[in-house]
Amino acid sequence: MALGNGSNARVIEGGLRARANAAPEHRTPSAKRRSMAPRHRLRIALHYAVLLLIGLVCVFPFLWTLSVALGTEGNVFAFPSSLIPHAVSLANFIEVFRVIDLGRYFWNSIWITFWTVVWTILVCALAAYPLARYRFRGRKLVFAVILATLMLPTEVNFLVNFITTTQLRLVNTHLGVILPTVAGAIGIFMMKTAFEEIPQDLLDAARVDGASELHIFFRIMLPLALPQIGALTILTTVTTWNNFLWPSVVLTKSDLMPLAVGILELSGTFGSSTRVIAAGAVLTIAPALIVFFFTQRFFMRGMEGAIK
Amino acid sequence: MIRLAAAADATSRAKLLSRMELVRAKLSFSLLLTACIVLASGPAPAADKVHVEFWTMSLKPKFTPYFRTLVTRYETAHPNVELEWVDVPWDALQTKLTAAIVAGSAPALAQLNVPWAYDYALHGALRSIDDLLGEDRANYTEGAIADLTFKGKIYGFPHYNSVNVMAYNKALFRQAGITQIPVTRDEQLAVAKQIRARTGQYGFSPALGKIAGLFLEEGLPLIENGKAMFNSPAHVAFITKLADAYKAGGLLKDKLFSEDNYPASIDAYKSGRMAMLEAPPSALTRVRDDAKDIYAVTDVAPVPIGGPGIAAGGWLFHFAMPKGAAENVAREAAQFAKFLTNAENQLEFAKLAGAFPTAKKAVADPHFQNLRTDAGAYEKAMAIGAKRMDVVRTLYVAGVPGFERLNKRLQDAVEAAIIGRKDVKTALDEAVAFWNSKLGP
Amino acid sequence: MSTRATDVAAAADRNGRFRSTFRNRASRARSRQARLPWLFLAPALLLLGLFTFWPVLWGGYLAFTEYNFLTPPRWVGLANFEDLLDDPVFFISLKNSLLYLLIVPAIQLGAIVLAVLVNNALPGIKLFRAAFYVPVVTSVSVVGIMWGWMYNEQGLINAVLQWLHVINDPIGWLSDDRLALFSLMLVTLWRGLGWYMVLYLAALQAIPSDLEEAAVLDGASRWQRFWQITIPMIMPTILLCTVLSTLAAMKVLEEVLIMTKGGPVSSTYTGLYYAYDQGIRAFNFPRALAASLVVSVFCLAIAWLNFRFLRPRHR
Repeated sequence: MALGNGSNARVIEGGLRARANAAPEHRTPSAKRRSMAPRHRLRIALHYAVLLLIGLVCVFPFLWTLSVALGTEGNVFAFPSSLIPHAVSLANFIEVFRVIDLGRYFWNSIWITFWTVVWTILVCALAAYPLARYRFRGRKLVFAVILATLMLPTEVNFLVNFITTTQLRLVNTHLGVILPTVAGAIGIFMMKTAFEEIPQDLLDAARVDGASELHIFFRIMLPLALPQIGALTILTTVTTWNNFLWPSVVLTKSDLMPLAVGILELSGTFGSSTRVIAAGAVLTIAPALIVFFFTQRFFMRGMEGAIK
Repeated sequence: MIRLAAAADATSRAKLLSRMELVRAKLSFSLLLTACIVLASGPAPAADKVHVEFWTMSLKPKFTPYFRTLVTRYETAHPNVELEWVDVPWDALQTKLTAAIVAGSAPALAQLNVPWAYDYALHGALRSIDDLLGEDRANYTEGAIADLTFKGKIYGFPHYNSVNVMAYNKALFRQAGITQIPVTRDEQLAVAKQIRARTGQYGFSPALGKIAGLFLEEGLPLIENGKAMFNSPAHVAFITKLADAYKAGGLLKDKLFSEDNYPASIDAYKSGRMAMLEAPPSALTRVRDDAKDIYAVTDVAPVPIGGPGIAAGGWLFHFAMPKGAAENVAREAAQFAKFLTNAENQLEFAKLAGAFPTAKKAVADPHFQNLRTDAGAYEKAMAIGAKRMDVVRTLYVAGVPGFERLNKRLQDAVEAAIIGRKDVKTALDEAVAFWNSKLGP
Repeated sequence: MSTRATDVAAAADRNGRFRSTFRNRASRARSRQARLPWLFLAPALLLLGLFTFWPVLWGGYLAFTEYNFLTPPRWVGLANFEDLLDDPVFFISLKNSLLYLLIVPAIQLGAIVLAVLVNNALPGIKLFRAAFYVPVVTSVSVVGIMWGWMYNEQGLINAVLQWLHVINDPIGWLSDDRLALFSLMLVTLWRGLGWYMVLYLAALQAIPSDLEEAAVLDGASRWQRFWQITIPMIMPTILLCTVLSTLAAMKVLEEVLIMTKGGPVSSTYTGLYYAYDQGIRAFNFPRALAASLVVSVFCLAIAWLNFRFLRPRHR
């Protein structure tokens, strides 16, 4: 089930390697060579205008929500006054902690995300090691099997996973939320890519020195693959923090729910207090956004490992 | 030689190192495993208290203060009990409760409706509470206890219920020359035809979209000895009467066969196009608010009683006890359940919910029974409804696998028969044949 | 494979004395080595097997049974599928899922355009790239809540449109059964643009710059360069993204669950939401699985179609 014929894959691979080697800024059509003619300046201004417009479309719900959360007076649906918050204060943010157990949801999110990341890295790295640096019988089969999971219609799995989780007595527990999400083809492939970068001679030398495979794994492979582990950590963190469907299916009690699920309870609970819900919404997405802003390059790049 | 020695030396050093790694790996693994176990269990309950978890159905946020107060009061009076209130959206409750039961983490009490309770009891998932209920059984209305009795055992502590009343338009009645309020279904159908003939308006709108319920109200079961028998002469006669009334124009045509003809009925009554409205008392608040003129000429009577003396419109909610709880937990849970469903608490809940309690004393309370002299239709409805609590039953078809598919066949057949497209007996015969083919030997 | 065991074994042979011990140890070590990769793979394979493969198998089986969790499944053959055929809402959900495919060209075109717009070194371009990506890293529940406010009759969208005098009366974006599905599609589009933009951006940046420069020297216009160089060079990415986008469109569930729950009047049911509804809300898991089986078949068919028609021909 190759994605496109070989030549295209090679183009992408070559391109990616080229990209990794060269700074991105230097391969665009040399705009710097042209003179700053007025017509050119107009084009750049237009370019920015379009970018700004699209950017606005992308962020306007956030801006509105933030404004509503910060303001404490006025009709939330008044236009355009609701866009600028009046009587700015953090009252709504404090209120939301009082009105629902947001602190509990926050803690649940952190707990679930932390353990998901730890387990994901461990399981994916462990699986990727033999795939990357071992020749053993059945390797191709395992590879194909893992690749096959990308092709499966997995969105519907939540139904049977619910049944499985129930029979494993993991329903309505944090472990039940975490376990099904830990092993994923993308994570395994990311780790595999990372391990393949580590020169074989290093491993051979270690083996000759008498190191056990476990030793090699923990003391050589993992430390050297740290950048990719970092990327996987960040991606998993954001994905898990934002995960909604599976936690909402598995969990019943609200004091186990993460933010993404709990915030929906909030909006159902207090339909009219829009400002408090807005504050809750801001608090829910803020951590993911903060992580994103500081680690943008992993997102802008991270997906490509998966395509390969 | 030296090389071998060096290799051996390196080997043993490496072995030592790798063994350390192994130990370290095992340690961190067991740490992770412990974390797993911690994660798998929920928050640990207090050591010496009995933990009673009870589930309610979509009662937050309206009843949050009510339950919080209740819980605090009970915990103060019973310091050895720790209560945990979990409210679950009603549309997910069946799934989540079943999962919890299978996973062994079922709550001590769960609020259920009667059909669900029947299913759970059928599959052995509920614990019968005869022993725990004891003499307090007499505190509840007969109808409620009957609703919760399956195969001779009781499976729940009754909570709140609802019941239908019949609101009627006095002006239309007078215009049609009707002097006696219909008391049986037959009389009601006759009145409907008369109304149509004399005033040109509709008589009433029976819930033909729930024909199974109508049969049961008349005391006509659908299944006997595992075989469908709703093509018996009695059934055929009943449907024929409905078909006649339909032909005479006495039945409201709007959404007559839809599963929920409730909104359409209220609308028709509100606009004076229909003379009788069978609905829970809350429907009258809509009439009161939207159509004051009709409300002014509205009076209320009990719903015509079907054959076995059953009043229609019951939908009982109760607290059931899933199996598997330890004996002491079950006992404490039963105590709490009785507290939850005692007369005072039920009365308060009923007032908040606009529903009817099932505790005898609550039903007899002046709140329902003492009518102000200027009581409008709604208040009268509440009073009449309360009086009916003893005979109201939740009607449903029990324990038929694949009921939805079978019911659809029945509905289609009845609809064809009533609107005159098919002969009544033929239509019912065909549906019975279909049911029996699916029900198996 | 150079391993310590064979090294030692070789050394032993040369030295005779340790032969027997070393050879046993060697063979034991070798079998340990053979087992080792499987030990490493075990957790991942176990989890994948349990939570990714097993559901497909068991789900496929359960779709032909009656199952209520408390008693073992009972085989009923095609009964669940017959029920689906009897249910008009199921057909609505399939129709809506197919309608949802309309966003695929929209989202792909939009993402390509965005990628082209940000594929340069203008100052602050990184900020724009991030801004376009923000919807992707926001939890879908919050997205649903925010857009619920935007779509409110008194919400921002109606307010702006009325202010611009584009419309006079507020539009019921989520309450009008003719519009609701399209409103949801807009939200899905909004969420996905940034994600595909990143993929296209990588593809664009992989195009060797000399190709582009040679074309400029040859006098090709911007338009020509775009269609004859850019697009063909990123064709594999277009294929991949189209397939992914198509599958994602068929599997839309969360937006419906959070914003409309299938309403108004069942007009926003999608295939997978129907399955969710049957499973979690109606507690009829076999019927839910039957519905999701049908959806999966559709997905496979459409993915296959995509490959057939978009597969780049060998150059």
